[in-house]
Amino acid sequence: MLRNIFLITLLGLLSYGFWISPNFKEISAGVAIFLFGMFSLEEGFKSFSGGTLERVLQKSTDKTYKSIGFGILSTTIMQSSSLVSVLTISFLGAGLIGLAQGIGIIFGANIGTTTGAWLVAGLGLKVDIASYAMPMLVFGVIFIFQKQKYIKGLGYILAGLGFLFLGIAYMKSGFEAFKDTIDLASFAVVGIKGLFIFTGIGVFATVVMQSSHATLVLIITALSAGQISYENALALAIGANIGTTITAILGAMGSNVVGKQLALAHLIFNGVTGVIAISSISYLIIAVDYLSLYLNIASDDYSLKLALFHTIFNLIGVVVMIPFISRLVIFLENVLKDKSISNRGFDKAKYLNTSVLALPSTAILSILQETRHLYDNVFEIIAHGINTKRENITSNKSIEESIKDIYSKDAVDIDDLYNQKIKGIYGEIVEFATKAQSTTVSNEDIDRLYNLKIASRDMVEAVKGTKHLQKNLIKYSNSSNKNIQKEYNLIRQGIAELLRSIYIISKTKEEDVILLLLSKSKVNMEKYDILASGTLDRLIRADSISDEMATSLMNDSSYAYDISKKLIAVAEIIFTDVNDLNMGMSKEDIESILDKKKDK
Amino acid sequence: MGIKRFIKTTRELLGLHDEQKESKKKALKSLLKKLIQRKRELKDILKERSSKELQEELDIVSLQIKKGKKILHELYE
Repeated sequence: MLRNIFLITLLGLLSYGFWISPNFKEISAGVAIFLFGMFSLEEGFKSFSGGTLERVLQKSTDKTYKSIGFGILSTTIMQSSSLVSVLTISFLGAGLIGLAQGIGIIFGANIGTTTGAWLVAGLGLKVDIASYAMPMLVFGVIFIFQKQKYIKGLGYILAGLGFLFLGIAYMKSGFEAFKDTIDLASFAVVGIKGLFIFTGIGVFATVVMQSSHATLVLIITALSAGQISYENALALAIGANIGTTITAILGAMGSNVVGKQLALAHLIFNGVTGVIAISSISYLIIAVDYLSLYLNIASDDYSLKLALFHTIFNLIGVVVMIPFISRLVIFLENVLKDKSISNRGFDKAKYLNTSVLALPSTAILSILQETRHLYDNVFEIIAHGINTKRENITSNKSIEESIKDIYSKDAVDIDDLYNQKIKGIYGEIVEFATKAQSTTVSNEDIDRLYNLKIASRDMVEAVKGTKHLQKNLIKYSNSSNKNIQKEYNLIRQGIAELLRSIYIISKTKEEDVILLLLSKSKVNMEKYDILASGTLDRLIRADSISDEMATSLMNDSSYAYDISKKLIAVAEIIFTDVNDLNMGMSKEDIESILDKKKDK
Repeated sequence: MGIKRFIKTTRELLGLHDEQKESKKKALKSLLKKLIQRKRELKDILKERSSKELQEELDIVSLQIKKGKKILHELYE
């Protein structure tokens, strides 16, 4: 409710803003295009996951010094620390690199960006990235229409970059009015007061213009015209360094929690560097003067001295922060936790590590734990796939009530959830179980490992089955035809009931409860055989459903049957010892129960 | 003496060779006890009111008891 009010208010404010200010419209369009570019980039990098890009990135960022080097090099080439930050957020979003590696790249980008000041001050040059936007968009879109996965991925990356550049260009263009009105001379102040005021102006100007380069150009112009003092110019440069983090923060808005963590790391790093620079500015000025002598920079060439200052204070920031990278990662992970299901975080194995391979029992136990972790995610996806909330299933609510409380009005993207929460863990379980098998000698242990692999595979298939089922489930459970609606809600109800039974099984130690729930679930599963039960014939004869509905119902009942069968098999392997007692229900047992039911 | 042979001899000496079988018997007995108790409860409830679900549960419990007794009998043979 609150969210809807916020959205409506935001749309209203934006519409009003567009009406009164064309500049505001341009800036907002810039932000929208920029964010769209972010999504496109992430999509593009995902196409390269699992292949060359991972290897290249991992090799060039597997050590702190390498990731810093990668940041320096890429920022020097692209001449935009903001773009490198945004790209790094995309790498993180696609699961290509970890947070610590991302932080290393950001540190490097902060050093790399100082080359821009050298270019502006020394050569008066600046690479205009926005001019590449149009060709990138054209080539990008052509590539997107190609069938090959990697070319398509490249297309998304090019189009994403194009949109990013275009977005920044729109934002800059929109802010031109602001740029023209900033007269630095009118703010010239000396002393500590001036230091803080000019740092603040530097932050503000960079946030407004979305480019620390633009701010630096302003500073250098004002400095050479004598509008501001050298000290004020240094404070402005410090402010620009802090203000540039806004681009990463904007970029992180469209990314997952790791992207947000990285944007916060960027802000913390630039903030700490700024504080260090402000508190030791007099020493830094001496250091700049001293080094200028060695670099043959004239004592009155304040532009180059400013560039040198920019480099020195960023280098100091990196040197100071390197020992704290791991602590920073822990801090960020605690502050920004993954709370949302729509979040794009990639879940990884929690219990698998090579130390447990020393003993077959510990290896099996850790794989069992991991398989249960995988089931936890499968439970969530299937619950959302049948459009109910996880907590409804684990609550004491009746099943009928549970399925009435829907999870979302729109269908959740099961493919996306599969990639985030299943694929990685499943792969790790299979790999680890295979490694464990090679160190295990007992046939019993080999069987157990094999069963755990089978359980993982069954879970994956149950999720895939849910994906097939989902489309019609959403469509027909809200259909105007009450008969088909009832049948589809019965399917939802059946799966929800099974999930609840398995949830109870996972929590209890009472063998009789486990055995009864499993047996009941097996009997209930048979009701999906709508051909045998005569449900389908009855509905068709009475002309209660259309031919299309009948076909869908027949197929979807079969999916529901398969999902249930696989989930029961999984529960028997990972939550019970019923199989050890040979007390599981056979096909004949189920038939005899169903026959009794029919007789009564 | 090899380690495997040593373990085998020790197990035989301590009468641990049927350990697995014994623990299975114990688990099965405990399970049967609980199932029989549940069967009694279900019968009592069904005397008072009829319920398709509970009747189905009773059928399942009866079948499981029958099955469990058969397995237990085989374990004692």
